[in-house]
Amino acid sequence: MSKLVVSNLSINRAELPVVSSLDISVESGAISVVLGANGAGKTTLLEGLSGIIPVAGGSIAIDGRDIHKARPGVRSREGLAHVEQGRTVFRQLTTEENLKVSLHSGADLAEAYALFPELVQRRTVRASLLSGGEQQMLVIARALLTRPKVLLIDEMSAGLAPVIVTRLMSAVRKLADNGLAVLLVEQFAALALSIGNRAYVMRRGRVVHDGDCMKLLKSPDELHRLYLGG
Amino acid sequence: MNALLTSAVAGLTAGGTYALLGVCAVFTYRLVAVVNFTGAAIGTAGTFVLIALYEAGFPIWPSVVAGIAAGTMVGVAIGTIMTRWFGEASASTKAAVTVALLVGIIAIGLRLTGGQHPHNMPELFPGSAFRMAGVEVTIASVLTIGLAALFTVLADLFLNTTKVGLNLRALADRPMAAELLGIRVQLLSLLVWGMTGAFTTFALMIIAPQRSPNFMTLSLLVVPALAAALVGLFRSFWRTLAGGIVLGLVEGMASSVDSISQYRSAIPFLVVLAVLLWSQREARWDEAR
Repeated sequence: MSKLVVSNLSINRAELPVVSSLDISVESGAISVVLGANGAGKTTLLEGLSGIIPVAGGSIAIDGRDIHKARPGVRSREGLAHVEQGRTVFRQLTTEENLKVSLHSGADLAEAYALFPELVQRRTVRASLLSGGEQQMLVIARALLTRPKVLLIDEMSAGLAPVIVTRLMSAVRKLADNGLAVLLVEQFAALALSIGNRAYVMRRGRVVHDGDCMKLLKSPDELHRLYLGG
Repeated sequence: MNALLTSAVAGLTAGGTYALLGVCAVFTYRLVAVVNFTGAAIGTAGTFVLIALYEAGFPIWPSVVAGIAAGTMVGVAIGTIMTRWFGEASASTKAAVTVALLVGIIAIGLRLTGGQHPHNMPELFPGSAFRMAGVEVTIASVLTIGLAALFTVLADLFLNTTKVGLNLRALADRPMAAELLGIRVQLLSLLVWGMTGAFTTFALMIIAPQRSPNFMTLSLLVVPALAAALVGLFRSFWRTLAGGIVLGLVEGMASSVDSISQYRSAIPFLVVLAVLLWSQREARWDEAR
């Protein structure tokens, strides 16, 4: 059964439709990849799902419970975690304090350090002084400590070196293999498809393709056509 | 010389109050990102609940508790407005909203308390604590400075050693990221507004007998309070504490010099101007080059 089911979702920005009549789902233990050109509505979709911006219509359900009207904090407590674009660490707090902020009952800091051992040596360093890669590891680890059922990740590769992106992708795959449902929005299409299970391609706020990641990875011409239309 | 010292010591009570109000302003700014012009007005509302109950014949200490509760509630009400409708607004918009609220609170307060009608404000802590260089230091002076120092220490401890304090620091840095992690942002914000409301109310109850207990006069104590907060650049509790006390001392001394005593209320503005010029000097110098 799908952990996250999004049905007929519409989201507006400044009263203009950005996402329209969108249906997607994410299963436990799987990664659903959302691809699309700039302006396709990918980030708006994630912001609508986590409650940063209100949705105009449709439903968002986790384990069958509709949360589309709930505030972001309530959605988090229902099991939805959102790793935003731009590495949103708490800049004035240390690495460990960032992790402690999100530490929910039953979670353990050791889980975060096990996922990213690189952070152990940086635990007392102020987050604003971490490298871009370390900051991205920190926000993913921080989201993990909220004990989510569904993890939304927005453009985690932006501005990072390929070797770091590969490291982050393998960590996300590991999280999915441990049972988490992941919805990954990504510009690095090939890398995202290589770790994903199901691929959605968005264009102008609508899903124009829904299929298997491996199939799409093996058809670059098809992917190119879906991105650009025609 | 002795007259100058006596006046300076007399300014200590005001200095302690400026310090406490200033530290509360820094606390509010650092944690909910609002330059709060209603700080003193919130305390004034609570103080006038005490005055009304006292004048109606209620015993003093239960009236103090009721006044502090009222100040806390007014703080929470202002906080509800700010978090509910202006949570994502810019710092300048939030500051402008608190100025508008200040005007509204003063108008309502003057209407309810009879404008310039004299009130019987009880002195909560009468008498002298000790003598210093031949000058009496009042209990009120010691208490306001002690309360300001206590709030400063508690604020530091609270923010740096407790989980709620950690959550508040995260909230101050990135409110939306904090909310996405399940932190109860609105509840914590209201906690900040309530706490500062309670402390400012108590501080104003102590200082009110020495001022004209008029709703507008007490509400406008926010000016020296924000001047003190500016000395701490809205970040440092300890510099704000020192700034408030020094401001009170300077005001006190100015009151004993005939030629400048009538201008002493302008001292906070001069401090604001001086701190702004000093803090912006590098940017202006770079522009000039």
